[in-house]
Amino acid sequence: MVGEGCYPPAVRRLPAAIDEELHKGVDVTDLQRFRGMSRRDVLKAGTALGGGFVLFSAGYRPAADAQDKKFRIAFIQGVIGDNFYITMNCGAQAMAASLGNITVETQGPEKFDQTLQTPILNAVVQTKPDAIMMAPNDSKGMIEPIKAAIAAGVPVLCVDTTIDSDVQLADVSTDNVEGGRLAARGLADAIGKKGKVFVVNVQPGVSTTDQRGAGFKEEIAKFPDITFLGEEFCNNDANVAAQITAAKLQSDPDLAGIFGTNLFSAQGAAAGVREQGKTGVVKVVGFDAGPQQVQDLKGNVVDMLVAQHPGEIGEIAVQLLDQFLKTGQPIEPKKYVTGTTLVTRENLDTPESQAALYVADCSNYKLTGVKPTPAEAAATPSA
Amino acid sequence: MADTESTQEGAAEAELGRTLGARFASSFTLAILLSIVVVFTVLKGTTFFSLANFNNILLDTSQILMLSIAATFVIITAGIDLSVSSILILSAVIAAQSMIRFSGTPEQTAAYEFPNQHIGIPIGVVLGLVTGAICGLGNGLLITRLKLPPFIVTLGTLSVYLGIAQLLTGGTTVPGVPPAIQNDIGLRNLWPPGFLGIDFRLVPQIVIAFVIALIAGIVLSRTRFGRYTYAIGSNAAAARRVGINVDGHLLKVYTLSGFLSGIAGIFDLFRFGTASIGTHQLDNLASISAAVIGGTSLFGGIGAISGSVIGAFIPVVLRNGLVITGVPSFWQNVAIGIVLIVAVWLDQRRRSAEERM
Repeated sequence: MVGEGCYPPAVRRLPAAIDEELHKGVDVTDLQRFRGMSRRDVLKAGTALGGGFVLFSAGYRPAADAQDKKFRIAFIQGVIGDNFYITMNCGAQAMAASLGNITVETQGPEKFDQTLQTPILNAVVQTKPDAIMMAPNDSKGMIEPIKAAIAAGVPVLCVDTTIDSDVQLADVSTDNVEGGRLAARGLADAIGKKGKVFVVNVQPGVSTTDQRGAGFKEEIAKFPDITFLGEEFCNNDANVAAQITAAKLQSDPDLAGIFGTNLFSAQGAAAGVREQGKTGVVKVVGFDAGPQQVQDLKGNVVDMLVAQHPGEIGEIAVQLLDQFLKTGQPIEPKKYVTGTTLVTRENLDTPESQAALYVADCSNYKLTGVKPTPAEAAATPSA
Repeated sequence: MADTESTQEGAAEAELGRTLGARFASSFTLAILLSIVVVFTVLKGTTFFSLANFNNILLDTSQILMLSIAATFVIITAGIDLSVSSILILSAVIAAQSMIRFSGTPEQTAAYEFPNQHIGIPIGVVLGLVTGAICGLGNGLLITRLKLPPFIVTLGTLSVYLGIAQLLTGGTTVPGVPPAIQNDIGLRNLWPPGFLGIDFRLVPQIVIAFVIALIAGIVLSRTRFGRYTYAIGSNAAAARRVGINVDGHLLKVYTLSGFLSGIAGIFDLFRFGTASIGTHQLDNLASISAAVIGGTSLFGGIGAISGSVIGAFIPVVLRNGLVITGVPSFWQNVAIGIVLIVAVWLDQRRRSAEERM
């Protein structure tokens, strides 16, 4: 599909270093290198994934032709041990296994910190993967480290977060504005389309949560009987979120709903609501659908969740890189988005909601086979 | 007066014996570092053992090295400085904001134009370093004037300094720093092209870090400042009795610690071109562990810069090698923790064996 019709032909000139690396691919020694590692890595990916997607594999496996070379992608997560990135890794692994010619090796910093991520990026570049997909820890700070990786001959694609630059091959991320709109629609429905609502956000300047807040604000304005009380920032601290919420309930005892834009914002907001004895009266929408959030949903701590689709981000990233590595053509367009799903206690058991929940390990991950959606195509407002 | 002076020297000379032990310890830790290098080289060959990768390791170490040197001085006085990570961030923030302020009119800098950056950048660097020193001086004043334990004071200022940085920035990364600090200074290669036939990437950060380490090593082992530092850590009361101005010296040591943290803060701008609030939160513990691995005693009086330099390298080399080897991230943490404990344990066993002799 890519390269046809609506997608403009590749015109951008690749940096010389990438170009060189691409053409180096045909070199005999390199082929030996790929062959040498393939078995072990495929085995590793296979064990990690279990048999679940094997059925899918047959359908996706491309014809064995001259292009069917082995490629090694390094995935650098935003932070390790986070269900969001774990699920993204599962998506990447599943897609890699179904394509058959790709292995994905995963690393990540233990905190969301550019000074921890950069040494990892540098070490990964030393292993000379064919490409890197990564969630940069800082939109400015990671520009130079990523440029250095590219200069060393390793192309980089950004997933989830990005950098303020155009050196990366492409960006794949959640449509966070749409996620905020979805939260607004869900919350409006839950409170009967009337009453006071406010947003507990993380901190100003974080692009993803800023977009969620903006999408929410934009959509909630469409409900004439809902009063928007603005947003407060909790610095990603649940205690602060609880204090803010408690204070808000003092000033506006008739508060009807709260949107917490990430885990701690929502948990803190819910704690504040609970401490004031208003659980169930004040509806809380959280973001993300990791095991903790789902437990909160089941335990009436929050009333609904906006789930991102991190697995799809991983799948799309691997597909884009696969195309890029096979053809050597720059990825066009450069921005791709994935959707969001509203998960409530009522629809939690539906297959659609279950598929949207994040996983703790890849044995529960099922390949979705999603195709890359360019940001422009998704920009049209959905019903 | 002359008499007091000589007594001081005498007491301090007695402490010098202890530093010899620490110096010996560093050759022992060096053996641990080298064996780690050998293991990764055997496992991954030139993927690990290459000039480009040593470049990575040097760059990754240079920042924590500044904090480790600070920790060495402070811990030898039997103190501790937990606030270094916040001083680092606050210095970087003040440096970044001053660079923007002095590099052009608000309209110009908002448009990402920096006509006066040749003035703005040096002013920013100086103010960043001054900030670091002032923060350190603040720690020293609280410790010596209020007679509070360094642990409590620096735990408090860890929070205070970070809070001030958050107040100044609204809790976010400082945007719009003149890119020259990174492109023209931080990324400048000082290695003459083709010098010695190798292609090395010697950025200023690495040179500054190792020159400072060298100076610190000389100051600690060869000067009166160093001897006083050991003397106070061994026995503050004795040091006071022989006429050392203990409070005055502690002020200097904590100011030095803040200043070195300020340098590490400037390194952030060199490397990333931005001052970010959410970073470096574990650097205080990392710097303390580097000093301890290097043979510095948490009870004071013992330690050497050479040991701390090696101690700073060990976790960085481990992390780098484990990533290259493809060890999963959680196992990396386990491995790094175990190596730290084993290194210190072996060192202590050797040391107690020596004492029995």
